[in-house]
Amino acid sequence: MSEHARLTAWRLFWIFGTLAIIEASVRAGWISTFFLAAPSRAAVTLWEQLVHGNALQLTAITLLEIFMSLLIATVFGVLAGFLLWRFKLAGRSYETWLAALFSSPIILAYPVFLVTFGRSSAAVIALSSIFGLIPIIINTKNSFQNVNPILLQVGASMNLTRKQMFRHILLPAVAPPIFSGFRLALTYILKSVLGLEYVAQVGGVGMWLSDAAFKFEVEEVYAGLFGTIALSILFLYLINRSESLIRN
Amino acid sequence: MAARQNSLQARIRTPWVMQASSLLLFIVGWEIIGRTGLLFPDLFPSIFEIFQSLWTYISTPLMLPHIQASLYEIGGALALASILGIPLGILWGSRRNWLEIVEPLILYAAVVPKIVIFPVFILFLGIGVHSKLAVGAIAAFFPIALLTIAGMRDVKKVYVDVARTIGATPLQIAIRVYLPAIAGQVFAGIRIGLGAAVTGALLAETKIAKAGLGFMIVEYYAQFRIADMYSLLLFILILAAVTNWVMKSLFARLSPASRVNPDASMYF
Repeated sequence: MSEHARLTAWRLFWIFGTLAIIEASVRAGWISTFFLAAPSRAAVTLWEQLVHGNALQLTAITLLEIFMSLLIATVFGVLAGFLLWRFKLAGRSYETWLAALFSSPIILAYPVFLVTFGRSSAAVIALSSIFGLIPIIINTKNSFQNVNPILLQVGASMNLTRKQMFRHILLPAVAPPIFSGFRLALTYILKSVLGLEYVAQVGGVGMWLSDAAFKFEVEEVYAGLFGTIALSILFLYLINRSESLIRN
Repeated sequence: MAARQNSLQARIRTPWVMQASSLLLFIVGWEIIGRTGLLFPDLFPSIFEIFQSLWTYISTPLMLPHIQASLYEIGGALALASILGIPLGILWGSRRNWLEIVEPLILYAAVVPKIVIFPVFILFLGIGVHSKLAVGAIAAFFPIALLTIAGMRDVKKVYVDVARTIGATPLQIAIRVYLPAIAGQVFAGIRIGLGAAVTGALLAETKIAKAGLGFMIVEYYAQFRIADMYSLLLFILILAAVTNWVMKSLFARLSPASRVNPDASMYF
Protein backbone atom coordinates (compact mmCIF):
# COMPACT_ATOMS: atom_id res chain seq x y z
CA MET A 1 0.00 0.00 0.00
CA SER A 2 1.44 3.37 -1.00
CA GLU A 3 1.91 6.12 1.58
CA HIS A 4 -0.79 8.24 -0.08
CA ALA A 5 -3.32 5.36 -0.03
CA ARG A 6 -2.50 4.60 3.61
CA LEU A 7 -3.09 8.21 4.65
CA THR A 8 -6.34 8.39 2.66
CA ALA A 9 -7.52 5.14 4.29
CA TRP A 10 -6.79 6.58 7.73
CA ARG A 11 -8.67 9.80 6.92
CA LEU A 12 -11.68 7.86 5.63
CA PHE A 13 -11.53 5.67 8.71
CA TRP A 14 -11.75 8.73 10.96
CA ILE A 15 -14.56 10.37 8.97
CA PHE A 16 -16.71 7.24 8.64
CA GLY A 17 -15.84 6.12 12.17
CA THR A 18 -17.17 9.42 13.55
CA LEU A 19 -20.31 9.16 11.40
CA ALA A 20 -20.84 5.55 12.57
CA ILE A 21 -20.60 6.62 16.22
CA ILE A 22 -23.15 9.40 15.60
CA GLU A 23 -25.43 6.95 13.73
CA ALA A 24 -25.25 4.42 16.58
CA SER A 25 -25.86 7.12 19.22
CA VAL A 26 -28.97 8.40 17.46
CA ARG A 27 -30.34 4.92 16.74
CA ALA A 28 -29.77 3.82 20.34
CA GLY A 29 -31.68 6.89 21.49
CA TRP A 30 -28.71 8.36 23.40
CA ILE A 31 -29.13 11.57 21.42
CA SER A 32 -32.62 12.85 20.64
CA THR A 33 -33.60 13.05 16.97
CA PHE A 34 -34.92 16.47 17.86
CA PHE A 35 -31.28 17.68 17.94
CA LEU A 36 -29.41 15.33 15.65
CA ALA A 37 -30.43 13.39 12.57
CA ALA A 38 -28.84 10.01 11.89
CA PRO A 39 -26.25 10.56 9.11
CA SER A 40 -27.94 7.82 7.02
CA ARG A 41 -31.31 9.67 7.23
CA ALA A 42 -29.64 12.97 6.30
CA ALA A 43 -27.92 11.28 3.34
CA VAL A 44 -31.25 9.80 2.16
CA THR A 45 -32.94 13.22 2.49
CA LEU A 46 -30.11 14.83 0.52
CA TRP A 47 -30.42 12.19 -2.20
CA GLU A 48 -34.22 12.66 -2.37
CA GLN A 49 -33.78 16.40 -2.65
CA LEU A 50 -31.25 15.91 -5.44
CA VAL A 51 -33.42 13.47 -7.39
CA HIS A 52 -36.98 14.65 -6.71
CA GLY A 53 -36.58 18.04 -5.02
CA ASN A 54 -35.02 21.29 -6.19
CA ALA A 55 -31.54 20.79 -4.68
CA LEU A 56 -29.91 20.70 -8.14
CA GLN A 57 -31.63 23.91 -9.16
CA LEU A 58 -30.50 25.58 -5.93
CA THR A 59 -26.94 24.32 -6.45
CA ALA A 60 -27.02 25.80 -9.95
CA ILE A 61 -28.06 29.19 -8.49
CA THR A 62 -25.20 29.04 -5.96
CA LEU A 63 -22.70 28.08 -8.67
CA LEU A 64 -23.93 30.92 -10.88
CA GLU A 65 -23.52 33.40 -8.02
CA ILE A 66 -20.00 32.12 -7.36
CA PHE A 67 -19.10 32.34 -11.05
CA MET A 68 -20.50 35.87 -11.46
CA SER A 69 -18.77 37.10 -8.28
CA LEU A 70 -15.49 35.60 -9.44
CA LEU A 71 -15.83 37.11 -12.88
CA ILE A 72 -16.50 40.60 -11.53
CA ALA A 73 -13.74 40.29 -8.93
CA THR A 74 -11.23 39.07 -11.52
CA VAL A 75 -11.96 41.73 -14.16
CA PHE A 76 -11.96 44.68 -11.75
CA GLY A 77 -9.36 43.21 -9.40
CA VAL A 78 -6.69 42.60 -12.03
CA LEU A 79 -7.33 46.03 -13.57
CA ALA A 80 -7.21 47.82 -10.21
CA GLY A 81 -4.12 45.85 -9.13
CA PHE A 82 -2.35 46.78 -12.36
CA LEU A 83 -3.27 50.46 -11.93
CA LEU A 84 -2.10 50.47 -8.31
CA TRP A 85 1.25 49.06 -9.46
CA ARG A 86 1.47 51.50 -12.39
CA PHE A 87 0.68 54.55 -10.21
CA LYS A 88 2.99 53.95 -7.29
CA LEU A 89 1.65 56.72 -5.05
CA ALA A 90 -1.91 55.40 -5.35
CA GLY A 91 -0.58 51.90 -4.67
CA ARG A 92 1.20 52.97 -1.49
CA SER A 93 -1.79 55.04 -0.38
CA TYR A 94 -4.54 52.51 -0.85
CA GLU A 95 -2.81 49.21 -0.07
CA THR A 96 -3.11 49.68 3.71
CA TRP A 97 -6.77 50.62 3.30
CA LEU A 98 -7.45 47.51 1.26
CA ALA A 99 -5.71 45.28 3.81
CA ALA A 100 -7.65 46.93 6.65
CA LEU A 101 -10.93 46.54 4.76
CA PHE A 102 -10.15 42.90 4.10
CA SER A 103 -9.57 42.03 7.75
CA SER A 104 -12.61 43.99 8.96
CA PRO A 105 -16.05 42.35 9.33
CA ILE A 106 -17.50 43.99 6.19
CA ILE A 107 -19.83 41.04 5.67
CA LEU A 108 -21.99 42.63 8.39
CA ALA A 109 -22.79 45.35 5.85
CA TYR A 110 -24.96 42.89 3.92
CA PRO A 111 -28.21 44.74 4.81
CA VAL A 112 -26.83 47.72 2.84
CA PHE A 113 -26.61 45.47 -0.22
CA LEU A 114 -30.11 44.12 0.41
CA VAL A 115 -31.41 47.70 0.45
CA THR A 116 -29.49 48.55 -2.74
CA PHE A 117 -30.11 45.42 -4.81
CA GLY A 118 -33.19 44.01 -3.14
CA ARG A 119 -33.47 40.56 -1.58
CA SER A 120 -31.99 38.80 -4.60
CA SER A 121 -28.93 37.00 -5.94
CA ALA A 122 -27.63 40.40 -7.14
CA ALA A 123 -27.04 41.43 -3.50
CA VAL A 124 -25.12 38.20 -2.83
CA ILE A 125 -23.03 38.65 -5.99
CA ALA A 126 -22.27 42.32 -5.24
CA LEU A 127 -20.97 41.74 -1.71
CA SER A 128 -19.17 38.49 -2.57
CA SER A 129 -17.41 40.25 -5.46
CA ILE A 130 -15.91 42.69 -2.95
CA PHE A 131 -14.61 39.75 -0.92
CA GLY A 132 -12.95 38.34 -4.01
CA LEU A 133 -11.81 41.71 -5.29
CA ILE A 134 -9.46 42.64 -2.45
CA PRO A 135 -7.11 39.58 -2.53
CA ILE A 136 -6.97 39.81 -6.33
CA ILE A 137 -6.04 43.53 -6.24
CA ILE A 138 -3.37 43.01 -3.57
CA ASN A 139 -1.93 39.93 -5.27
CA THR A 140 -1.92 41.49 -8.74
CA LYS A 141 -0.16 44.62 -7.49
CA ASN A 142 2.42 42.55 -5.59
CA SER A 143 2.93 40.25 -8.58
CA PHE A 144 3.79 43.16 -10.90
CA GLN A 145 5.94 44.71 -8.19
CA ASN A 146 7.94 41.50 -7.68
CA VAL A 147 8.77 40.84 -11.34
CA ASN A 148 12.48 40.08 -11.55
CA PRO A 149 14.15 43.35 -12.73
CA ILE A 150 16.65 41.30 -14.77
CA LEU A 151 13.78 40.16 -17.00
CA LEU A 152 12.79 43.78 -17.57
CA GLN A 153 16.41 44.74 -18.31
CA VAL A 154 16.68 41.90 -20.84
CA GLY A 155 13.49 43.15 -22.49
CA ALA A 156 14.81 46.70 -22.60
CA SER A 157 18.15 45.57 -24.07
CA MET A 158 16.22 43.80 -26.83
CA ASN A 159 14.44 47.09 -27.59
CA LEU A 160 11.00 45.65 -26.93
CA THR A 161 8.11 48.08 -27.21
CA ARG A 162 5.92 48.69 -24.12
CA LYS A 163 3.27 46.41 -25.64
CA GLN A 164 5.80 43.64 -26.35
CA MET A 165 7.29 44.03 -22.91
CA PHE A 166 3.85 43.61 -21.34
CA ARG A 167 2.87 40.64 -23.49
CA HIS A 168 6.12 38.67 -23.53
CA ILE A 169 7.68 39.51 -20.17
CA LEU A 170 5.28 40.99 -17.63
CA LEU A 171 2.26 38.82 -18.36
CA PRO A 172 4.00 35.41 -18.20
CA ALA A 173 5.90 36.50 -15.09
CA VAL A 174 2.82 37.66 -13.16
CA ALA A 175 0.36 34.92 -14.21
CA PRO A 176 1.29 32.24 -11.59
CA PRO A 177 1.30 34.59 -8.56
CA ILE A 178 -1.95 36.19 -9.75
CA PHE A 179 -3.44 32.69 -9.78
CA SER A 180 -2.68 32.41 -6.05
CA GLY A 181 -4.80 35.54 -5.50
CA PHE A 182 -7.47 34.04 -7.72
CA ARG A 183 -7.48 30.88 -5.58
CA LEU A 184 -7.76 32.92 -2.41
CA ALA A 185 -10.55 34.99 -3.93
CA LEU A 186 -12.49 31.88 -4.92
CA THR A 187 -12.26 30.51 -1.38
CA TYR A 188 -13.55 33.79 0.02
CA ILE A 189 -16.31 34.09 -2.56
CA LEU A 190 -17.45 30.55 -1.79
CA LYS A 191 -17.64 31.32 1.94
CA SER A 192 -19.34 34.63 1.35
CA VAL A 193 -21.94 33.31 -1.13
CA LEU A 194 -22.97 30.35 1.03
CA GLY A 195 -22.93 32.44 4.22
CA LEU A 196 -24.95 35.29 2.73
CA GLU A 197 -27.47 32.94 1.15
CA TYR A 198 -28.01 31.49 4.59
CA VAL A 199 -28.26 34.71 6.63
CA ALA A 200 -30.22 36.73 4.07
CA GLN A 201 -32.30 33.72 2.99
CA VAL A 202 -31.81 34.33 -0.72
CA GLY A 203 -30.36 32.37 -3.63
CA GLY A 204 -29.46 28.69 -3.58
CA VAL A 205 -28.07 26.06 -1.20
CA GLY A 206 -27.68 28.47 1.76
CA MET A 207 -31.33 29.52 1.44
CA TRP A 208 -32.39 25.86 1.45
CA LEU A 209 -30.52 25.33 4.71
CA SER A 210 -32.09 28.45 6.19
CA ASP A 211 -35.61 27.36 5.15
CA ALA A 212 -35.11 23.91 6.64
CA ALA A 213 -33.87 25.42 9.92
CA PHE A 214 -36.83 27.81 9.98
CA LYS A 215 -39.25 24.86 9.66
CA PHE A 216 -37.27 22.83 12.24
CA GLU A 217 -36.92 19.98 9.72
CA VAL A 218 -33.94 18.38 11.47
CA GLU A 219 -33.13 15.82 8.75
CA GLU A 220 -33.32 18.49 6.09
CA VAL A 221 -31.06 20.81 8.13
CA TYR A 222 -28.38 18.10 8.27
CA ALA A 223 -28.93 17.21 4.61
CA GLY A 224 -28.46 20.89 3.69
CA LEU A 225 -25.39 21.07 5.92
CA PHE A 226 -23.90 17.96 4.26
CA GLY A 227 -24.65 19.48 0.85
CA THR A 228 -22.98 22.78 1.78
CA ILE A 229 -19.92 21.07 3.24
CA ALA A 230 -19.66 18.77 0.20
CA LEU A 231 -19.87 21.74 -2.17
CA SER A 232 -17.17 23.64 -0.23
CA ILE A 233 -14.85 20.62 -0.15
CA LEU A 234 -15.41 19.87 -3.85
CA PHE A 235 -14.56 23.46 -4.71
CA LEU A 236 -11.36 23.47 -2.67
CA TYR A 237 -10.35 20.13 -4.19
CA LEU A 238 -10.90 21.45 -7.73
CA ILE A 239 -8.98 24.65 -6.95
CA ASN A 240 -6.06 22.66 -5.54
CA ARG A 241 -6.06 20.33 -8.55
CA SER A 242 -6.13 23.17 -11.08
CA GLU A 243 -3.39 25.03 -9.19
CA SER A 244 -1.13 21.99 -9.22
CA LEU A 245 -1.87 21.48 -12.94
CA ILE A 246 -0.95 25.11 -13.71
CA ARG A 247 2.22 24.99 -11.62
CA ASN A 248 3.41 21.74 -13.18
CA MET B 1 11.91 78.84 -7.66
CA ALA B 2 11.83 75.53 -9.55
CA ALA B 3 13.55 73.77 -6.65
CA ARG B 4 10.99 75.14 -4.21
CA GLN B 5 8.15 74.01 -6.51
CA ASN B 6 9.68 70.51 -6.71
CA SER B 7 10.01 70.33 -2.93
CA LEU B 8 6.37 71.41 -2.53
CA GLN B 9 5.29 68.79 -5.06
CA ALA B 10 7.27 66.12 -3.19
CA ARG B 11 5.62 67.18 0.06
CA ILE B 12 2.16 67.00 -1.49
CA ARG B 13 2.74 63.71 -3.28
CA THR B 14 2.74 61.54 -0.16
CA PRO B 15 0.43 58.63 0.68
CA TRP B 16 -0.88 60.55 3.69
CA VAL B 17 -2.00 63.52 1.56
CA MET B 18 -3.50 61.17 -1.03
CA GLN B 19 -5.41 59.26 1.66
CA ALA B 20 -6.71 62.46 3.27
CA SER B 21 -7.80 63.93 -0.05
CA SER B 22 -9.48 60.65 -1.07
CA LEU B 23 -11.38 60.60 2.21
CA LEU B 24 -12.44 64.21 1.75
CA LEU B 25 -13.55 63.48 -1.81
CA PHE B 26 -15.53 60.46 -0.59
CA ILE B 27 -17.32 62.52 2.10
CA VAL B 28 -18.12 65.37 -0.31
CA GLY B 29 -19.30 62.92 -3.00
CA TRP B 30 -21.47 61.06 -0.48
CA GLU B 31 -23.01 64.31 0.77
CA ILE B 32 -23.75 65.53 -2.78
CA ILE B 33 -25.36 62.22 -3.74
CA GLY B 34 -27.34 62.18 -0.50
CA ARG B 35 -28.64 65.72 -0.74
CA THR B 36 -29.47 65.64 -4.45
CA GLY B 37 -30.96 62.13 -4.39
CA LEU B 38 -28.89 61.41 -7.51
CA LEU B 39 -28.39 57.70 -6.75
CA PHE B 40 -30.40 55.29 -4.59
CA PRO B 41 -32.39 57.86 -2.60
CA ASP B 42 -32.56 57.09 1.16
CA LEU B 43 -29.38 55.02 0.91
CA PHE B 44 -27.06 58.00 1.38
CA PRO B 45 -28.09 59.80 4.58
CA SER B 46 -26.11 62.88 5.54
CA ILE B 47 -22.65 62.18 6.95
CA PHE B 48 -23.53 64.54 9.85
CA GLU B 49 -26.56 62.41 10.66
CA ILE B 50 -24.38 59.28 10.71
CA PHE B 51 -21.79 60.88 12.99
CA GLN B 52 -24.50 62.28 15.25
CA SER B 53 -25.86 58.76 15.65
CA LEU B 54 -22.34 57.41 16.22
CA TRP B 55 -21.79 59.99 18.96
CA THR B 56 -25.01 58.80 20.65
CA TYR B 57 -23.61 55.24 20.82
CA ILE B 58 -20.36 56.48 22.32
CA SER B 59 -21.75 59.03 24.77
CA THR B 60 -24.90 57.28 26.04
CA PRO B 61 -25.55 53.82 27.50
CA LEU B 62 -27.99 53.04 24.64
CA MET B 63 -25.83 50.30 23.16
CA LEU B 64 -24.40 49.01 26.42
CA PRO B 65 -26.60 45.87 26.76
CA HIS B 66 -25.89 44.97 23.14
CA ILE B 67 -22.16 45.60 23.49
CA GLN B 68 -22.16 43.43 26.61
CA ALA B 69 -23.98 40.59 24.84
CA SER B 70 -21.62 40.73 21.84
CA LEU B 71 -18.50 41.01 24.01
CA TYR B 72 -19.62 37.99 26.04
CA GLU B 73 -20.07 35.96 22.85
CA ILE B 74 -16.80 37.11 21.27
CA GLY B 75 -14.74 36.78 24.46
CA GLY B 76 -16.22 33.37 25.22
CA ALA B 77 -15.68 32.25 21.63
CA LEU B 78 -12.03 33.31 21.64
CA ALA B 79 -11.40 31.68 25.03
CA LEU B 80 -13.04 28.41 23.95
CA ALA B 81 -11.25 28.38 20.59
CA SER B 82 -7.90 29.00 22.34
CA ILE B 83 -8.52 26.32 24.98
CA LEU B 84 -9.25 23.78 22.24
CA GLY B 85 -7.10 25.07 19.38
CA ILE B 86 -3.75 25.57 21.11
CA PRO B 87 -3.46 22.14 22.82
CA LEU B 88 -4.80 20.36 19.73
CA GLY B 89 -2.42 22.33 17.52
CA ILE B 90 0.49 21.38 19.80
CA LEU B 91 -0.61 17.73 19.86
CA TRP B 92 -1.07 17.47 16.08
CA GLY B 93 2.04 19.52 15.37
CA SER B 94 4.23 17.34 17.59
CA ARG B 95 3.29 14.05 15.89
CA ARG B 96 4.22 14.04 12.22
CA ASN B 97 2.18 10.93 11.38
CA TRP B 98 -0.95 12.33 13.06
CA LEU B 99 -0.47 15.66 11.32
CA GLU B 100 -0.26 13.98 7.91
CA ILE B 101 -3.68 12.44 8.51
CA VAL B 102 -5.37 15.39 10.18
CA GLU B 103 -3.98 18.46 8.37
CA PRO B 104 -5.83 18.09 5.03
CA LEU B 105 -9.07 17.45 6.93
CA ILE B 106 -8.58 20.66 8.94
CA LEU B 107 -7.69 22.64 5.83
CA TYR B 108 -10.83 21.42 4.05
CA ALA B 109 -13.00 22.08 7.10
CA ALA B 110 -11.52 25.59 7.40
CA VAL B 111 -13.02 26.52 4.01
CA VAL B 112 -16.61 25.68 5.03
CA PRO B 113 -18.44 28.88 6.00
CA LYS B 114 -18.93 28.44 9.74
CA ILE B 115 -22.20 30.34 9.80
CA VAL B 116 -23.93 27.40 8.06
CA ILE B 117 -23.39 25.31 11.23
CA PHE B 118 -25.47 27.86 13.15
CA PRO B 119 -28.80 25.95 12.74
CA VAL B 120 -27.18 22.93 14.42
CA PHE B 121 -26.05 25.10 17.33
CA ILE B 122 -29.56 26.56 17.58
CA LEU B 123 -30.94 23.01 17.87
CA PHE B 124 -28.52 22.18 20.67
CA LEU B 125 -28.08 25.51 22.47
CA GLY B 126 -31.15 27.57 21.60
CA ILE B 127 -31.34 31.10 20.24
CA GLY B 128 -29.59 32.77 23.20
CA VAL B 129 -26.00 33.94 23.37
CA HIS B 130 -24.47 30.46 23.57
CA SER B 131 -25.29 29.43 20.00
CA LYS B 132 -23.52 32.60 18.74
CA LEU B 133 -20.61 31.94 21.07
CA ALA B 134 -20.32 28.47 19.51
CA VAL B 135 -20.29 29.86 15.94
CA GLY B 136 -17.60 32.38 16.95
CA ALA B 137 -15.60 29.63 18.65
CA ILE B 138 -15.63 27.30 15.67
CA ALA B 139 -14.68 30.20 13.37
CA ALA B 140 -11.75 31.18 15.62
CA PHE B 141 -10.64 27.59 16.20
CA PHE B 142 -9.18 27.07 12.71
CA PRO B 143 -6.73 30.00 12.53
CA ILE B 144 -5.60 29.32 16.11
CA ALA B 145 -5.08 25.57 15.58
CA LEU B 146 -3.48 25.96 12.13
CA LEU B 147 -1.05 28.67 13.21
CA THR B 148 -0.14 26.66 16.33
CA ILE B 149 0.61 23.70 14.04
CA ALA B 150 2.71 26.04 11.85
CA GLY B 151 4.55 27.20 14.97
CA MET B 152 5.24 23.62 16.06
CA ARG B 153 6.51 22.78 12.60
CA ASP B 154 8.97 25.68 12.76
CA VAL B 155 10.52 24.59 16.08
CA LYS B 156 14.10 23.61 15.33
CA LYS B 157 14.76 19.99 16.23
CA VAL B 158 18.19 20.92 17.51
CA TYR B 159 16.64 22.94 20.40
CA VAL B 160 14.68 19.89 21.54
CA ASP B 161 17.74 17.65 21.18
CA VAL B 162 19.86 20.04 23.24
CA ALA B 163 17.18 20.17 25.96
CA ARG B 164 17.02 16.37 26.03
CA THR B 165 20.82 16.10 26.19
CA ILE B 166 20.94 18.27 29.30
CA GLY B 167 18.29 16.07 30.89
CA ALA B 168 15.14 18.20 30.57
CA THR B 169 11.86 16.43 31.35
CA PRO B 170 9.03 16.43 28.72
CA LEU B 171 7.21 19.10 30.77
CA GLN B 172 10.34 21.26 30.92
CA ILE B 173 10.84 20.83 27.17
CA ALA B 174 7.22 21.87 26.59
CA ILE B 175 7.49 24.97 28.82
CA ARG B 176 11.07 26.04 28.10
CA VAL B 177 11.47 25.08 24.45
CA TYR B 178 8.16 24.64 22.64
CA LEU B 179 6.11 27.42 24.25
CA PRO B 180 8.60 30.30 23.66
CA ALA B 181 9.26 29.01 20.12
CA ILE B 182 5.59 28.86 19.09
CA ALA B 183 4.39 31.92 21.04
CA GLY B 184 4.67 34.23 18.03
CA GLN B 185 2.52 32.04 15.78
CA VAL B 186 0.03 31.32 18.57
CA PHE B 187 -0.41 35.05 19.25
CA ALA B 188 -0.87 35.67 15.52
CA GLY B 189 -3.48 32.87 15.50
CA ILE B 190 -5.33 34.40 18.45
CA ARG B 191 -5.37 37.82 16.78
CA ILE B 192 -6.71 36.41 13.51
CA GLY B 193 -9.06 34.18 15.50
CA LEU B 194 -10.47 37.28 17.16
CA GLY B 195 -11.43 38.68 13.75
CA ALA B 196 -13.06 35.38 12.83
CA ALA B 197 -14.92 35.26 16.16
CA VAL B 198 -16.22 38.81 15.69
CA THR B 199 -17.50 38.02 12.19
CA GLY B 200 -18.96 34.63 13.18
CA ALA B 201 -20.75 35.79 16.33
CA LEU B 202 -22.10 39.06 14.93
CA LEU B 203 -23.22 37.45 11.68
CA ALA B 204 -25.09 34.82 13.68
CA GLU B 205 -26.69 37.64 15.68
CA THR B 206 -28.05 39.12 12.45
CA LYS B 207 -29.81 35.81 11.74
CA ILE B 208 -31.62 35.29 15.00
CA ALA B 209 -30.96 36.89 18.38
CA LYS B 210 -32.46 38.83 21.25
CA ALA B 211 -29.54 41.21 21.81
CA GLY B 212 -26.16 42.16 20.39
CA LEU B 213 -24.62 44.56 17.89
CA GLY B 214 -25.37 42.29 14.91
CA PHE B 215 -28.97 42.01 16.09
CA MET B 216 -29.24 45.83 16.21
CA ILE B 217 -27.90 46.16 12.63
CA VAL B 218 -30.77 44.02 11.37
CA GLU B 219 -33.25 45.82 13.63
CA TYR B 220 -32.25 49.16 12.10
CA TYR B 221 -32.41 47.63 8.62
CA ALA B 222 -35.92 46.29 9.30
CA GLN B 223 -37.01 49.72 10.54
CA PHE B 224 -35.24 51.35 7.57
CA ARG B 225 -33.15 53.54 9.92
CA ILE B 226 -30.29 53.64 7.43
CA ALA B 227 -28.23 56.37 9.15
CA ASP B 228 -28.37 54.44 12.43
CA MET B 229 -27.42 51.24 10.62
CA TYR B 230 -24.38 52.88 8.97
CA SER B 231 -23.24 54.44 12.21
CA LEU B 232 -23.50 51.11 14.02
CA LEU B 233 -21.48 49.44 11.25
CA LEU B 234 -18.89 52.19 11.57
CA PHE B 235 -18.90 51.71 15.34
CA ILE B 236 -18.25 47.97 14.94
CA LEU B 237 -15.48 48.56 12.39
CA ILE B 238 -13.79 51.09 14.70
CA LEU B 239 -14.14 48.73 17.68
CA ALA B 240 -12.69 45.83 15.65
CA ALA B 241 -9.80 47.96 14.34
CA VAL B 242 -8.93 49.30 17.82
CA THR B 243 -9.05 45.80 19.38
CA ASN B 244 -6.90 44.43 16.57
CA TRP B 245 -4.37 47.22 17.01
CA VAL B 246 -4.24 46.75 20.81
CA MET B 247 -3.72 43.00 20.43
CA LYS B 248 -1.08 43.51 17.74
CA SER B 249 0.88 45.95 19.93
CA LEU B 250 0.51 43.80 23.05
CA PHE B 251 1.59 40.61 21.31
CA ALA B 252 4.47 42.39 19.58
CA ARG B 253 5.72 43.37 23.04
CA LEU B 254 5.24 39.89 24.47
CA SER B 255 6.77 38.14 21.50
CA PRO B 256 8.46 39.97 18.63
CA ALA B 257 7.89 36.86 16.53
CA SER B 258 4.13 37.58 16.47
CA ARG B 259 4.97 40.25 13.91
CA VAL B 260 5.71 37.50 11.43
CA ASN B 261 3.22 36.48 8.83
CA PRO B 262 1.36 39.81 8.53
CA ASP B 263 -0.77 38.46 5.68
CA ALA B 264 -1.84 35.33 7.51
CA SER B 265 -5.28 36.82 8.06
CA MET B 266 -5.88 36.59 4.32
CA TYR B 267 -5.94 32.82 4.53
CA PHE B 268 -8.80 32.40 7.00
